[in-house]
Amino acid sequence: MDIDTTVKVSGEAGQGIQTVGQLLGLVCREAGLYVMAISDFESRIRGGSSFFQIRISNQPVRAPHHRVDLLVALTSETLELYRNELSPDGLALIGNDSAPIDSNTQQVLFTALASQAGGRIYANTVAAGACLALLGAPLDLCQTIFSGHFRPRGKAITDNNLNAVLLGYEAVKDIPYSGRFTWPHDGPRGALVDGARAIALGALAGDCRLAAFYPMSPATAIMQHLDGFSDAFPLVVEQAEDEIAAANIAIGASFAGVRSMTATSGGGFCLMTEALGLAGITETPLVIVNAQRPGPATGLPTRTAQADLLFVIHAGQDEFPRFVFAPGSPAEAFEVTVRAFHLAEKYQVPVIILVDQYLADATFIVEESLTAPDHIERFIVGDKDMKDPAGYERFAVTPSGVSPRALPCRGKALVVVTGNEHSRDGHISESISDRISMVDKRHAKLDGMREDICPPRAYHGTAEILLIGWGSTEGAIAESVDRMRADGIDAGCLMFTDLWPFPADAAAEAIGEGRTTLVVEQNRSGQLGKLIREQTGIACSGAILKYDGRPMYPHEIVDGVLPFVR
Amino acid sequence: MVCIEDYESTFENKWCPGCGNFGILSALKDALVDLELAPEQLLVVSGIGQAAKTPHFLKCNAFHGLHGRALPLATGAKMANHELTIVVHSGDGDCYGEGGNHFIHAIRRNVDITVLVHNNRVYGLTKGQASPTSDLGMVTPVQHSGTVSAPLNPLSMALVAGAGFVARGFSGHGKHLSGLIRAAVSHRGFSLIDILQPCVSLNRVNTYEWYSKRVVDLSPEGYVPDDLGAAITLSRQGEDSIPLGILYQKEMPTFMDRMGAFDGRPLVAEPYDRQKRQTLLSQIG
Repeated sequence: MDIDTTVKVSGEAGQGIQTVGQLLGLVCREAGLYVMAISDFESRIRGGSSFFQIRISNQPVRAPHHRVDLLVALTSETLELYRNELSPDGLALIGNDSAPIDSNTQQVLFTALASQAGGRIYANTVAAGACLALLGAPLDLCQTIFSGHFRPRGKAITDNNLNAVLLGYEAVKDIPYSGRFTWPHDGPRGALVDGARAIALGALAGDCRLAAFYPMSPATAIMQHLDGFSDAFPLVVEQAEDEIAAANIAIGASFAGVRSMTATSGGGFCLMTEALGLAGITETPLVIVNAQRPGPATGLPTRTAQADLLFVIHAGQDEFPRFVFAPGSPAEAFEVTVRAFHLAEKYQVPVIILVDQYLADATFIVEESLTAPDHIERFIVGDKDMKDPAGYERFAVTPSGVSPRALPCRGKALVVVTGNEHSRDGHISESISDRISMVDKRHAKLDGMREDICPPRAYHGTAEILLIGWGSTEGAIAESVDRMRADGIDAGCLMFTDLWPFPADAAAEAIGEGRTTLVVEQNRSGQLGKLIREQTGIACSGAILKYDGRPMYPHEIVDGVLPFVR
Repeated sequence: MVCIEDYESTFENKWCPGCGNFGILSALKDALVDLELAPEQLLVVSGIGQAAKTPHFLKCNAFHGLHGRALPLATGAKMANHELTIVVHSGDGDCYGEGGNHFIHAIRRNVDITVLVHNNRVYGLTKGQASPTSDLGMVTPVQHSGTVSAPLNPLSMALVAGAGFVARGFSGHGKHLSGLIRAAVSHRGFSLIDILQPCVSLNRVNTYEWYSKRVVDLSPEGYVPDDLGAAITLSRQGEDSIPLGILYQKEMPTFMDRMGAFDGRPLVAEPYDRQKRQTLLSQIG
């Protein structure tokens, strides 16, 4: 690829680093470039150190790069933290007087220039202007994007920002930088979408009408996006008093007949597990998003992990069917969310969508068109579908395990459900035959559910070395495969999105025997590896595991594979 | 015409003979008949406990959920379909203990539901432990030296939290209770009736006789329930004279009113507008 540049903007929380990143992304998108951006922040509102890192290319990019070509450090502390990531011909811009200046470091007085533009608060916009100038972005393009972005905030703020971007742009024009490239004029290749927004859009497309939540990083952004749709669509987004209430509100709404969801992270999911079981035994459709972060307990609130896989598959006492899906990109997160609402109603089961801080917050150019279903199949019956509505039984035993689902107060048919074990009519029962028939009925759904499960996706699937991953690491794993193949290593990968019911036969066939198989996961014990062994009997050769709370980079996977190369 | 028989369940009632719950169930049926509310128009939501079994002993739509979680379930159901008439049956442990947080926040939301708390001041389902409303010093199998926490005052709590309908009933005064239930269901907004209910098996202190000597009906005394300060004072009155009736009533905008989204059809009845969704999806930047 001709263009592959990584820019890192770092500073304290509260300095507007996310805004710089957002604007860089918008300018690149408008020019027709691809971007992939991650954000890293601490659990604080002001101070500390955080960064926004954007990879810019003229080819699709789906993972972050570990080498930084241009570092814009708004504080000297973050210069020290990140300067060792600079590539040999990289450049660091620093605004602080006291910062050391070497051949890779150039000083730009962001704050002083910002004061000229209208106030110190515009230092981030000055930095964005400087950054875009060094990359060779056309000034008029930058001005158009900045003007459009700030217009809703009024003329004064827009003008000050335009002054700031110009001052930043001019300030670096004499600084030599080898990373400057020729910008295309191709127009946007897609939308800039992060995982959280993709899930919210998927929920809207999937006809979600009620979302209840309790704020918890990194899931809150999903609800923030959904809330933005609630004026124009039949959708209620309600902040509950806790995660227990959020899950129960969603179940109550689903019982009364609307598609509903909740979103949380691991700690909140812990609180929801009893309600998960309630959805299980009352056979009430429910979609729960668990945006994972490292734990246990509070763990690392603003960081990423893939350590809840076995937890969500097994969460809740006793046994009941559920789906677990882990999308690998925003485009897939959209599709999976639409599908989750459909399957929750088709089988009257809870569906868990596993994402993580990395995917929830990471921004990609999504080229795929996002499509709302032509119509929503509700799998709901009314009096007109029944011979005898008065004799309706919510938990009638059927070969598929799925009973006709009526809604309360929508006809003569009375709908009775309970979290106690029950008979077909929904009333409490302690009889042996009811217990066995209800457990069997619920489990009978698994046959149908397995037919709706997608097999893992292979990329160079017959290679000598097979990397096996799930969820958000897909981009990093696929890129590591490309890099290894370019170096003559016969590597491929197998990615799982549908994790439960586990596609055991498809997995066994795709993994096969007699080659090196390595699971790549962001947890300490190789949870997918354990699941594969449990479900197929296949033991993988090894594991590349990362659990430091930071995103997986392709080079780390390559380094992890090298010891296995013969 | 709705009649009592419409509500008769064939499901075996499992309460102890003489239980105060029977008085509540019968007052409820009377109220529903008076309101001409048919079983198919009613959703009863409950948590866990002897009170929470009520919907099984009635013929109606029912969601018998988790311990303490009846209020969020009812809230979600009402949001999905604001045309539902929802009555929650809960107990002192379910509503004021396990579900205490939900109780406060359901009041804040002012969702238009009626909550009947069967308050027997003891845990029935788990056989006789202290409840949040048990007297200080009450001896139980697991509090052998007597409880050491003071009882909660649910009426004071509801009033201070901002509830728009706060009442107390007694299961031994069925006709009076039935009137209260009628008024509560008719009230637009969150309505609470704390119902004093003797537990004949496990509470030897707060018996029918004990209550009968102490309860006083407010209405013949000309009490008008429009003064929050007076209501709070009444709710804190000592147990020598226990006021029965509506302590406070004030209509306020409900959750649904405040949300605006509920102006027209219930959420459940809105059509799926594919085109509108697709337009939004096609325009994202």
